[in-house]
Amino acid sequence: MLSFILLLLTTLLLSGCTDKESELTLAVGGAPAEVERWEEIIREFENIERIRVRIIRQPADTDLRRQNLVLALRSKKKDPDIFLMDIAWVSQFIESGWLTEIKGIDISPFFESAIRVDQKGERVFAVPLYVDCGLLYYREDLLKEYNCGLPSTWEQLVECALRVQQGEREKGRKDFYGYVWQGAQYEGLICNFLELSAGTGGGFEDLDSQGNLKALIMMRDMIHRFQISPPNTYTEMKEEEARIFFQMGKAMFERNWPYAWKLHNSESSPIRGKVGVTLLPKFRDGDHASCLGGWHLGISIYSDKKGEALKLVRYLTSKEVQIKLARKLGWNPARKDVYDELIKEQPHMKAVLRSCEKAVSRPAIPYYSQMSEVLRKHLNAVLANRIPPARALEQARREIERLNEMYR
Amino acid sequence: MNRRIILYSLPALALLFTLLVVPLLGTFYTSFLRDVSYLDKGGLTLSNYTNIFQDPTFWQSLAFTIKFAGISVPLELLTGLIIALLIDQKMIGGGLLRAIVLIPWAIPSVVSARIWELIFNYSYGMINLITSNILGVRVNWFGEAWSALLALVVADLWRTTPFVALVLLAGLQSIPPELYKQARVDGAGRIRTFFGVTLPLLVPFLIISAIFRTADALRVFDIVFVITEGGPANQTMPLSLYAYRFYAGGDFGKGSAVSVVLFLASLLTALVMLGYYRRKRVVY
Repeated sequence: MLSFILLLLTTLLLSGCTDKESELTLAVGGAPAEVERWEEIIREFENIERIRVRIIRQPADTDLRRQNLVLALRSKKKDPDIFLMDIAWVSQFIESGWLTEIKGIDISPFFESAIRVDQKGERVFAVPLYVDCGLLYYREDLLKEYNCGLPSTWEQLVECALRVQQGEREKGRKDFYGYVWQGAQYEGLICNFLELSAGTGGGFEDLDSQGNLKALIMMRDMIHRFQISPPNTYTEMKEEEARIFFQMGKAMFERNWPYAWKLHNSESSPIRGKVGVTLLPKFRDGDHASCLGGWHLGISIYSDKKGEALKLVRYLTSKEVQIKLARKLGWNPARKDVYDELIKEQPHMKAVLRSCEKAVSRPAIPYYSQMSEVLRKHLNAVLANRIPPARALEQARREIERLNEMYR
Repeated sequence: MNRRIILYSLPALALLFTLLVVPLLGTFYTSFLRDVSYLDKGGLTLSNYTNIFQDPTFWQSLAFTIKFAGISVPLELLTGLIIALLIDQKMIGGGLLRAIVLIPWAIPSVVSARIWELIFNYSYGMINLITSNILGVRVNWFGEAWSALLALVVADLWRTTPFVALVLLAGLQSIPPELYKQARVDGAGRIRTFFGVTLPLLVPFLIISAIFRTADALRVFDIVFVITEGGPANQTMPLSLYAYRFYAGGDFGKGSAVSVVLFLASLLTALVMLGYYRRKRVVY
């Protein structure tokens, strides 16, 4: 019996030691294409710096990626040394003490709203690798055909969407809609909401403010009153759902992230060459706003190769590599100083730059995910036409106040 | 003799202890701690429990979980029974049929959830394709609480019925053929035989599958996570997803407290059913 236990223990110990000690480990998203891209980038780094890097393949889903990292960090694992974080969790990771302070990086070229999330006071704990900002895609051909101007306000968008929708339906395209966006009960809904509310005095600070109310009423009306957005907006519409809908030629306008541009103009796309992209509209008396997304690099506090890890972070956020990432992979640089060069090659980058300059970040507080959970539940209930907007916002405010007490 | 039995069962017990008892106790312990990754650790407290009990979302999730299990398990037993009776018939290709019936169970649940999500999809799902062509209407399946629940139950039914069918098939085949002969001699028809012989002898197997399926249904996570993520407006939020949100947000104390509640609920239902099983067990 004793020998059995000893055997069991030694196997356990040995299996814990198989991690190769000499390598830097980097955790990235596990979608097959993403891993391939990373291998390419890393090979170049290995050749320059003579540091071996092992890529750890994480799940592809954002939520699962976080869970995966939280488990590793909770158990104080040495690996991964470097990982990518969605902008929405950076604050939780900083406050949990899981990130190593990053020193000696010039933060001035980065988008201010992105780098601000990575800071605690003056200290920097993460660096943005790429940014994402909401954009408005539209059908150039239909815009001309129906004599619409490019909408700069939500009211204009509704008007044009109605006109095109009616016209297209009269031509027999019964399932044509004016505007598709993301309203399912998930994080994307918060982004869509902020893009309407943040420019008109709304946001997380004062939840039942007039700005938030106006934004939410507009969102509900797009589905139920004007009916320019399909009924499944609040159930199924996430990024891909909206992208496919628009790409099948079934919508006039679409809200999506920059990644959709390439796909809309791909060989097999029915709307290839007919798509335009611009800033999301604003309210007549407000300003444009877009939701800031993107992924940030962090170094684990438990890493045993912090020096090498810092070199990799520096490499990936350098001007040259940021341009390369944008050209090859379509990742939008987190540095503002590379856009001039990119706009010459890819005109849609101009819209990305303009949008990211107007970007607002979601609250940088460690329990943001619980806050988001509460808010998306109430927003979704309004979009489902279950409760009036004012009551939903009031309830959300009260529940979030409770969270503030609980986690302060 | 006695000492040897203990000795031989030690490895198994050690395994069970490390894999089951330790994590379980750990979860119990954590549920009484203030364990939030970004806050200082506190001492023993009941606040996790009082907090979740004050949260309307908790009660909403609990109600949905019970509703989901209460609807899906009886349906699974019924369809499982029908399928078991069908594939128990002697016919050509019966073996193949039995293998085919198992396919849904062999498909990873995330994959089958995705399939059902597409089938129920509003704009290009198969069901709406049919209804829009025949009736001229599209149904927003995930738009109402009842229809979203229906879609989830159907997805769960499709995936887990084979398991029930398999257990019941084993039960059917364990019924001694003499009993059927005897019933025929006594002049009982097919229906009479089913209710007089087959069903009573299947009860223990039905209870066993009910125990397994209820415990599973109470913990339902994967299909909901893939298909609705709790929407619309939290109408399809199971307890496991509610717990998961706490874990993901770094609040391990509350996550554990919800897990403990879920564990106790499963345990309680299993114990009740097990008690019933003991009374109904038939010894030939």
